Amino acid sequence: MRAFLKKEWMEWVRTGRFFLVLLIFALFGIMNPAIAKLTPWMMEALSDSLAKTGIVTTEVTVDAFTSWTQFYKNIPMGAIVFVLLGSGIFPQEYQKGTLIPVVTRGLSRKKIAAAKSLMLLFIWTLSYLLCFGITYGYNAYFWDNGIAKSLFFAGFACWLFGIWLVALLVFFSAVSANSPQALLGTGGIVAACYLLGMIPRVSRYLPTKLLEGMPLLQGISEPGDYSACLAAALGMSLVCLGLAAVCFERRRL
Amino acid sequence: MEMLTLSHVAKSFGSKQVLRDVSFSVPEHTVFGFVGQNGAGKTTAMKLILGLLDADGGEISVNGRPVRYGNTPTNQYVGYLPDVPEFYDYMTPEEYLCFCGEIAGMPKGERKSRSRELLRLVGLEQDNRRIKGFSRGMKQRLGIAQALFCRPRLLICDEPTSALDPVGRRELLDILVNVKEQTTVLFSTHILSDVEHICDEIAFLHEGNIVLQGPLEKVRRKRRDTGVELELARTEEVKFLLSEFPFLELSGSNRILLKEAKKLPDVLRLIADRNLAILRLERQEAALEDLFLEVVGK
Ligand SMILES: Nc1ncnc2c1ncn2[C@@H]1O[C@H](COP(=O)(O)OP(=O)(O)OP(=O)(O)O)[C@@H](O)[C@H]1O
Ligand SMILES: [Mg+2]
Repeated sequence: MRAFLKKEWMEWVRTGRFFLVLLIFALFGIMNPAIAKLTPWMMEALSDSLAKTGIVTTEVTVDAFTSWTQFYKNIPMGAIVFVLLGSGIFPQEYQKGTLIPVVTRGLSRKKIAAAKSLMLLFIWTLSYLLCFGITYGYNAYFWDNGIAKSLFFAGFACWLFGIWLVALLVFFSAVSANSPQALLGTGGIVAACYLLGMIPRVSRYLPTKLLEGMPLLQGISEPGDYSACLAAALGMSLVCLGLAAVCFERRRL
Repeated sequence: MEMLTLSHVAKSFGSKQVLRDVSFSVPEHTVFGFVGQNGAGKTTAMKLILGLLDADGGEISVNGRPVRYGNTPTNQYVGYLPDVPEFYDYMTPEEYLCFCGEIAGMPKGERKSRSRELLRLVGLEQDNRRIKGFSRGMKQRLGIAQALFCRPRLLICDEPTSALDPVGRRELLDILVNVKEQTTVLFSTHILSDVEHICDEIAFLHEGNIVLQGPLEKVRRKRRDTGVELELARTEEVKFLLSEFPFLELSGSNRILLKEAKKLPDVLRLIADRNLAILRLERQEAALEDLFLEVVGK
């Protein structure tokens, strides 16, 4: 299994996907405070022309909240990039038949699936930490993170959303013949969760709720309100990974 | 001892029955040729042996142990060269071979020396760049190195020479003959001269069944009395012979084909009596190709 992990690592690095995903998450991390910082300046620049049309701009105050709002807006975008880059992990190998020499050499399929999942988890965690860390650092430097409540719990919930995404991705990627199918499956489930989220009574059980960090920071909701969706995300992740292992075991290579 | 045994193996894809009832066995330390038309099911049979496909019926055993679909423990004895070998493009050949060794649990020092040794054997020691730019023939060479890497007891090669240049083909056949001391080789091919050069035993697969099988010499002998060709100097004598013996056939200008070799003495007697001028008398070589054509009914 160590050999296969090393191979996965080499694949992410040498195909350039690893640096691409890190770069994008770092960019998002920088953009969040940057946009917040630039907002008043932009407002000022625009206020003259806006005044002519009759809109009166008031002095805007920016603080850490503005930047964190950007963070929670941008994380879904980062997640999309991550899913795009990760969707080929199984299909590429199926299409080329590169797993055949590995399997015929006696590496169990469970270990292959485990290595691939671990790699995705690691990359998600690393890129997420990078984005979160950069935003956190700049916010602390420009403003004050202290006004945000449950900051780290909200961050953890958002990270867990990514874990759920990884589990979905592993499952759909393992059963798909090509990456578009894997994307469609993963995207479909996430979109379905978003749609279901419109129904107020259901929304608190959906993993997509984990992305709603702002109410936590503003103190409108409590960490306790998220226990249902935390449990749902964890449960679904385990089920997905289990199913992926079972399907991959039976799959024709 | 038998290295590989297939008994009554059947496999179909949907409604298409590819293998009906395939039984053969490969003794240790032989080179076994597996011949059949395109789509006869050679690749399918090999994948069944590797546990990559699920057989509908029958039993396969490698080195005396049964093959299971999925993770089969028998694969530890087997080295496999797929028909179109594919590798991880971003690795160099040496890295790929080391990766294979590591999966198989080979110690680090041995991996390095073994991969050098094999790259030299297949003539790739100069090409230490990434596999991405490799030609099909180079990939096939790397494929054979990869298959031999862990010193398998059974080496399965699916059309190992299909992409190689004439020199490469010769070299590969030599490799196969040389590894016979240590392993058993099963290989499929369309090139019957390869089979004639290096195989000890062969099996013909046709319409899902093994139609012909056995040691190469024995299979060839089946066609030993294929016929005799006579070439005469004068056309009128040819006509005369043809009228005397209705079972003779004209096979070219002044050439006669005798299909039943046991009637040869009668013909020769007449030739001697009449003092006919023969230019050439030749026993036809029992080529595998004729046999192949006969088997597939064309
Ligand atoms: N995965 C599959 N699904 C459906 N049919 C298949 C599959 N694999 C092979 N076949 C069919 O099985 C038959 C045998 O294929 P196979 O690849 O074993 O032939 P082959 O003897 O290796 O031919 P070739 O000499 O061209 O390599 C073909 O008719 C092919 O269409
Ligand atoms: Mg084939």
